[in-house]
Amino acid sequence: MENFFSILFSLSLFYVAITFRVKAYVSVLRFQGILLALLLILPFIFKFSIYAIILPLTIVLIKVILIPNYINKIILDLDIKRKIDPTIQQLTFLIIVIASVIIIFLLTSIISNNIELNVIPFASGFSAIVVGIYLIIFRKKLIIHVCGFLILENGIFLISTAIASELPMMIELGILLDVFVVVFLMGIALNRISDTFEGFEVSHLRRLKD
Amino acid sequence: MLDFTIFILLPLFASFLCYIVKNIKIHFFISFFVAIFHLVLSLLVFNKLYHTILPTYFGIDSISRFFILILSNVYFWVVIVSYNYLKRPYSEKVEESKKYYFLLLNFYLASNSAAMLSNHFGMYWVASEATTLSVAPLIYYYRNEESLEAMWKYMFTVSIGIAFAFIGILFLSLASKNILYDGRQLFYWELIKNASKLNTIWLKASFIFIFVGLSTKIGIAPMHSGDVDATSNAPSPIAALMSGSLRLTALLGVLRIFQIVTFSSTYSFAKSIMIIGSLLSLFVAFAYMFKANNYKRLLAYSSVEHLGIITLGIATGGLAFVGALYHSLYNSINKIVLFLMAGNIHYKYKSREIESVKSVFKNLPITGWLFLISVLAILGIPPFGIFFSEIKIFEGLIISNQWFILVAIMFFLLFIFVNMSKKVFEILFKEDDLFSNNYVKKEKFELIHLISIMLLIMLAVIPLSFSNTIYQNILSILNDFGMKI
Amino acid sequence: MLEGIISLIIVIFISPLFAGMINKYKAIFTGRIGAPVFQPYYELIRLIKKETINASSSSFVSKIAPIIIFLSMIFVSSIIPVGFLKPLISFNGDIILFAYILGLARFLQILSAMDIGSSFEGMGAAREATFALFAEPIFFFSIGSIAFISGHTSMYEIFNSILLNNIGYEIFIIVCSISVFILAITECSRMPVDDPNTHLELTMIHEVMILDNSGFDLFLYQFSSYIKLTIYALIEISFFYPFGKQNHFLGILIFIVGFLTLSITLALVETITSRYKMKLIPQYLLFATSIGILNLLIYTFMK
Repeated sequence: MENFFSILFSLSLFYVAITFRVKAYVSVLRFQGILLALLLILPFIFKFSIYAIILPLTIVLIKVILIPNYINKIILDLDIKRKIDPTIQQLTFLIIVIASVIIIFLLTSIISNNIELNVIPFASGFSAIVVGIYLIIFRKKLIIHVCGFLILENGIFLISTAIASELPMMIELGILLDVFVVVFLMGIALNRISDTFEGFEVSHLRRLKD
Repeated sequence: MLDFTIFILLPLFASFLCYIVKNIKIHFFISFFVAIFHLVLSLLVFNKLYHTILPTYFGIDSISRFFILILSNVYFWVVIVSYNYLKRPYSEKVEESKKYYFLLLNFYLASNSAAMLSNHFGMYWVASEATTLSVAPLIYYYRNEESLEAMWKYMFTVSIGIAFAFIGILFLSLASKNILYDGRQLFYWELIKNASKLNTIWLKASFIFIFVGLSTKIGIAPMHSGDVDATSNAPSPIAALMSGSLRLTALLGVLRIFQIVTFSSTYSFAKSIMIIGSLLSLFVAFAYMFKANNYKRLLAYSSVEHLGIITLGIATGGLAFVGALYHSLYNSINKIVLFLMAGNIHYKYKSREIESVKSVFKNLPITGWLFLISVLAILGIPPFGIFFSEIKIFEGLIISNQWFILVAIMFFLLFIFVNMSKKVFEILFKEDDLFSNNYVKKEKFELIHLISIMLLIMLAVIPLSFSNTIYQNILSILNDFGMKI
Repeated sequence: MLEGIISLIIVIFISPLFAGMINKYKAIFTGRIGAPVFQPYYELIRLIKKETINASSSSFVSKIAPIIIFLSMIFVSSIIPVGFLKPLISFNGDIILFAYILGLARFLQILSAMDIGSSFEGMGAAREATFALFAEPIFFFSIGSIAFISGHTSMYEIFNSILLNNIGYEIFIIVCSISVFILAITECSRMPVDDPNTHLELTMIHEVMILDNSGFDLFLYQFSSYIKLTIYALIEISFFYPFGKQNHFLGILIFIVGFLTLSITLALVETITSRYKMKLIPQYLLFATSIGILNLLIYTFMK
């Protein structure tokens, strides 16, 4: 079942690679948040405990409700156009994404010969990290960079479930809180940027150079 | 429990108080008392006069003792200076950021102490991400385009870098799979104890990810750009804080993983990676000094250089390691003076360009002298600390027979010395006809100058007094790393 | 043998109904009453009564192409399983034959479109050829990965042999049905790749190629396109066959329910999407291909 969710996760990455709308990114973030929450609940379906439900609930609260709503609000407030303004052709981007996903899967399977590892969740998570970085590199709009960063974070989360690392609950909550605050600050900064530069694209951030 | 309260809870509470109370003077007094408590306690802890009992995920060992002392020292001076700094009229917009200044500063202290006192990689990660978050709004103090851009870039690069470090931490827990079981994963001492049993491939991967990820925050090339932008555009106390303590927080994370690595077969691999990183950052600083046109950026690149030297010393081990630890202490003190004086110059001339700042010596004699002395100190002129620690690092390099690296570094440092002093002399001495005649008002002797003088004296006294406690502590750190001089 | 003939007859005679159902649902979703479900049958009957007129510039290709296309459609539909009836033709490797007979049909379609010599048809042919290039890999990646799981290369055997205790299969259903759905949309020239209802030559793909045909030829073309749609629908439905393996009644039920839901889904998709720009279609298809690749990757690393 873990595989099932991680494959849906990778599907959402492909969707991110072809979509043209800013809002679609937000829905993808929401979708991924739901998947992560489900992934966390999964091991506890038959041995229910309140302790186990706290983390998935926090994920739903932060990754499914708060962050996407906040990004939506920024989009509305700043009146960001709904097109994403890629710097390279979407087709090329998709090909790059496909190639990287294939390479990651192959590498992961090679590595998994050595150590016990859930190949599909691990590789999907890693693909998400790579796609997140691509989004930051190949997109002009800063709001998409934030989305790319969040997709990257989601990928890391998926990896951490894949390798079944038992991070203590308190620290997991701390991580979620940190991510939320990062997005919050980035939102404020975006607001300021749109005020100061009258735009929210990377091309405006050219003042600092060596 | 008292120590935990003072180190972490008290600053948190103080930042909460700063949220309620609106008066900046009260903010300052609160922060000042917090800083004093923090400094006194960390001095006590450093001299082993206070026995610490910390909750889970926190612990104290010789290395965190040393680093928390550096932190509270830098923080103390920065807080004292901050009030004077905030009183300066700058522009309408800055008034708004003043309200959050001390709040964020206190939060920074809390999170940074938590990062330094953590004994669990997860806790370290959470805390050091929190330091980034608290510093980022402070970078945007001036509310202008440059600082906004710097804040955005810093927040973004560092957040991504830290995310990579988190992947490294996950790999570390993979490396310890089937060795460490529930509840004991990712604690430093458990990992160190079982270092030789860890899976080599994952340990290597983890080291690369953590080192590269944190190097965005340390400011090691090639990930230094966000850090340099931030340091050069932040207000001077914050720049001092970042150069003096925030970079060391990130360095601490690298040290932690390096400590694990030293006991495993990955040691030489990690060493070579760190040496490559440090040489690269020295090279970047060397290259920048040729075309520097912004004196604050110059200082930021000087930070890149010195963190490169520290990393090199750590990687070399032995005597160079001792030198590196001394170097981090001296560098942190020296950077405060440098940035404060640069801030004074910036306040007077309203420009960071080297070309538009002329004859500082005439207009700001005290600041000019102090700036000159501190620049010479950071360039490695005796009797200031940097000289002694650099000598130690070189000695360590000679002992470990790494002549090639030594020659490369000497070459870089020579040119950095020449170019940096050239640029600084341009600022200080070059005559400016327009400015000098109609500006004869004498510079007043302010608190900032007093503090700078005190810090410079400290910088000279610590190495000359051969302070035994520091030396003992560094020796015990060395012992923790399984090295000998 | 008898089963095969029955399934062939089902496919052939149900196909206009499927198209009619889609149109009806579409009409309902957009708030109209719409043509009766059996309208495609009436149209086919109307067409068959008419005389065939070929363009004067056309050669023998235009004459034989409709017949060959129709025959190849019938041939293909005798490979695909309906319910649990064993199809007429079934041997190891027939998925390759399946793909290439469809390819033959497309080739002749393009050829006959160019044969007439009209610029519009040539344009349509060019588009069809381009998009076919992107659509082909989708088929091979999705069906190929299913073939990999089952270890068989015959359409019937594949779906007959999959065991549900193979945990990965549920994933395949989702992933494959998305890619096959996109494939079906492309191959059958539905929205959002092509709009079968508009007659605007500049944007059409499939319809523009048969602009100059009439009478019996047009009947064959129309009928083949109905059958093609049904074939892809059947591929989509056959992913769910393994669930009804215990008894035949369940298999038939899956068939009927699948047919209904698919027609509703197609109608829904056509209602809520608008036609993509021409230049976006390749990446839309590449998306489906990437899903297919993902599918193959999953299979390879599932163990």
